[in-house]
Amino acid sequence: MNADDLTRALARRAPGQWELYSKVAESRESESTTSLRRAFWRREEGWAARWQESGAPRFAAGTSPPELHRAIEAADAITPAAAPPLEWPAARKAPSPETSGAAVEAPPDLFAELARAVSAASRGEATLLSLTLRRGRAEERIANAAGLELRQELRLFDGIAAAVGRRGAKAREARLAFRWQDGPEVEPLARRLADAATLPLSDRPAPFGSGQWLLDPAVGAALLAAVAPLFLAERPPRWLVRGRFGSPGLAVVDDASRDAPADGEGVPSRRVLLAEDGTLVGCLLDLSAAAACGRRSTGHGVRPSFRVPPRARPRRLFFEAASAVPPSDLLASVSKGLYASALTALARVDVEADRYEIEFTGVSIVAGRAGGPVAGARARGRLSELLRRIRALSSDLQFFPSPYPAGSPTVLVERANFD
Amino acid sequence: MLLHCSRVDWDEAAIRRWLEPLDGREVDIAEVFGEALSELVLEWNDGVIREVRVRREEGTAARRRAGGVEQLVCVPGCGEASAREAVRALRSEAGGEPLPIRPAGRPEETDAGALFPDADRWTRRLSSLFARHAPKHAFRFRIRQTERRVVADRSRSASSSRRLVSLEGRFTAASRAGDEERPFAFHAPHSESVADELKTELAAAAVPRDRPVPAPAGETDAILAAGSAAVFFHEVLGHPLEADAETSPLQNLPDARVAVPDLEIVDDPRRLDLFGGYENDDEGVAPRAARLVAAGRLGGRITDRAHGAAPGSTGHGRRSGAADAPRPRGANVVVGPGSADADEMLRRLGNGLWIETFDGGSVELASGTFRLRFPRARRVRRGRFADELGGGVLAGEVLPALAGVEPVLGRDARACRSFGWCARSGEVVPVGGSAPDVLLRRLTVRPDP
Repeated sequence: MNADDLTRALARRAPGQWELYSKVAESRESESTTSLRRAFWRREEGWAARWQESGAPRFAAGTSPPELHRAIEAADAITPAAAPPLEWPAARKAPSPETSGAAVEAPPDLFAELARAVSAASRGEATLLSLTLRRGRAEERIANAAGLELRQELRLFDGIAAAVGRRGAKAREARLAFRWQDGPEVEPLARRLADAATLPLSDRPAPFGSGQWLLDPAVGAALLAAVAPLFLAERPPRWLVRGRFGSPGLAVVDDASRDAPADGEGVPSRRVLLAEDGTLVGCLLDLSAAAACGRRSTGHGVRPSFRVPPRARPRRLFFEAASAVPPSDLLASVSKGLYASALTALARVDVEADRYEIEFTGVSIVAGRAGGPVAGARARGRLSELLRRIRALSSDLQFFPSPYPAGSPTVLVERANFD
Repeated sequence: MLLHCSRVDWDEAAIRRWLEPLDGREVDIAEVFGEALSELVLEWNDGVIREVRVRREEGTAARRRAGGVEQLVCVPGCGEASAREAVRALRSEAGGEPLPIRPAGRPEETDAGALFPDADRWTRRLSSLFARHAPKHAFRFRIRQTERRVVADRSRSASSSRRLVSLEGRFTAASRAGDEERPFAFHAPHSESVADELKTELAAAAVPRDRPVPAPAGETDAILAAGSAAVFFHEVLGHPLEADAETSPLQNLPDARVAVPDLEIVDDPRRLDLFGGYENDDEGVAPRAARLVAAGRLGGRITDRAHGAAPGSTGHGRRSGAADAPRPRGANVVVGPGSADADEMLRRLGNGLWIETFDGGSVELASGTFRLRFPRARRVRRGRFADELGGGVLAGEVLPALAGVEPVLGRDARACRSFGWCARSGEVVPVGGSAPDVLLRRLTVRPDP
């Protein structure tokens, strides 16, 4: 049993309605703590098939063609309800790019360097606990009933770092996931870790009940990721009157074309404008969502793994500023407010109910100058009001990997309530 | 001795021969681990299956640990060829003499047996169960079968297999002021009685109730009922006592009195009736019950081979999958029962919350704070049930929360079937628990936004 056999079997089973996906990946990972060094080398092979036999959609996955074949046979024993047929992307004129096939290098050993940087950035109050770095390469192939034969290579260099801040009997752990595009960026990571681990150690609560709210790019990206279901909803929530999403001038874009030429279903990556001048103007569709609403896929069928079928998800979502200002100007414009440096709990957003609650640590700002640290504060209220109160975006756009790539510059919210 | 790994027999003697150069006096661990996993997922919507998914996965990992350095190689497949490839790559990574490449032989035959012979029966059962108790729903039903094998140094070899059943999602239930959406989760090992148990749980979850009012904010006492105390102890004792929890608030408190003497808690993977049970851990160690609290005093830690020290591993070396390294992880939190009935528990509570389900929890070890999210609760006033309450978060600090456990425990320990999976650093393992009703004082509650 090989790829050709699987293709023939799928074409016989579901003429015109099948897709075969395969992935061969290699990754090297290092996990370092003060007492242990772990080195992982992983070779992964994944196969997946989707097909609609008499309109009934099925999905099977396996770690080899024979295993996939066995999974297909098992999935065939159960008949789900019929779904609209998918409009599979057809073969494109442009040939698939050549893949490099180069071996994956082990990630560099940065534990000692990052540990020193964290200690320096925190004036000795924070200690690096662990650093996991992963370098990987994957080659994906997608073939379907419309004649598509796509091959693309994906590369990544990402990791997770954890630090603990201690002051007297108080301790606080911070954990950050990051993704590096062009090589290690140790200093910014160290600063972020040091802030997240030490700011909550102060005894100071939020000094104001309300005020302006300046969001660090990491917090802005977490907020954007939390509101992303708005861009996937079949029906927008009731509070989104006439698509009024945010303040005038606010734009939200998803554009993964620099990460991969196509999505997990073979649809070309492209820039999709989701909100423009504060109004919702687009949505993210994969093949299934597009078939359900009679439109075309926007190239947002995302496969987090070969084990699950693609789903409509953001691929590289970010706030785009029409007129960005330097972060220092944003800071200077705050008369009284809080700067949210890092989240202290997952952002809780209920898009349907129009509510949000964000717990963060940071510093107070008075007359454009940083005041003392704020151990923990909570902003909560109506999501619609929060989005409509975004007054300015700065020029320091940064991307964060979790839960999906989301980017944000420093964001200024003109008013928020804190407790 | 031949070890059967799903579709291929491992020649244990051959694997030991391959591992030999990786083993030595200064080597702590040298092992090969193989896993075969089959999973069926049915996405149900309002009585109809919208999607069928089947997954069939095999992986093999070779691992060596010497001093403070560990190397792990993972490759697809779990046949002998995969084991050889993994050991070969590991020997090369370790800088030793590589294992010669063996010419590719005949491809290993796939076992032709049906993966899920009972799928049709489950489909019919679920269809009638949903029609009766939850006609409007969005549920994900999952059967997962895993077979795992380990061949390790010191003549250690073991196997284990598990078949787990899960149903989770949301359904529309009648409430006295109209329909309302409720979450539901059920996780249990496969057995003859699991379908009946699922039916009972879903029927109980669908009982008409009053429409909830928002949970109060502030300090509260609470009874964790229906086995949900297992989730609380998993967070406040299980994670802090995992042997690699370096910043744990319980790290330097062996044998310290942390709770009332009536409290007896173990983490017992041998309870195969609970979701987190197993016969052997993923390092080939037969598990034993790790004592977390005995007569109110802190017990030992949950260990794997790397952290076992003199007493040895407690058999809690668990892997999320073949591609992950084993780590000391909790399995089933089992809390010993007391003698109080529900009425007495309510009387002792006086005013507070009655919580039967948590749908999420976390603990931050360095600060020793925890959070447990409940989707719903019941207010208790003067020892009697009052309003239905909406969701919220119960929070506190580990040591004060343990000290706040009242010396009165419910007489019946119940399996917590809503408790199923635990994620740590992205690695997910099945967990379970069983507990009587437990009364806690002075926790902080915050309603959903």
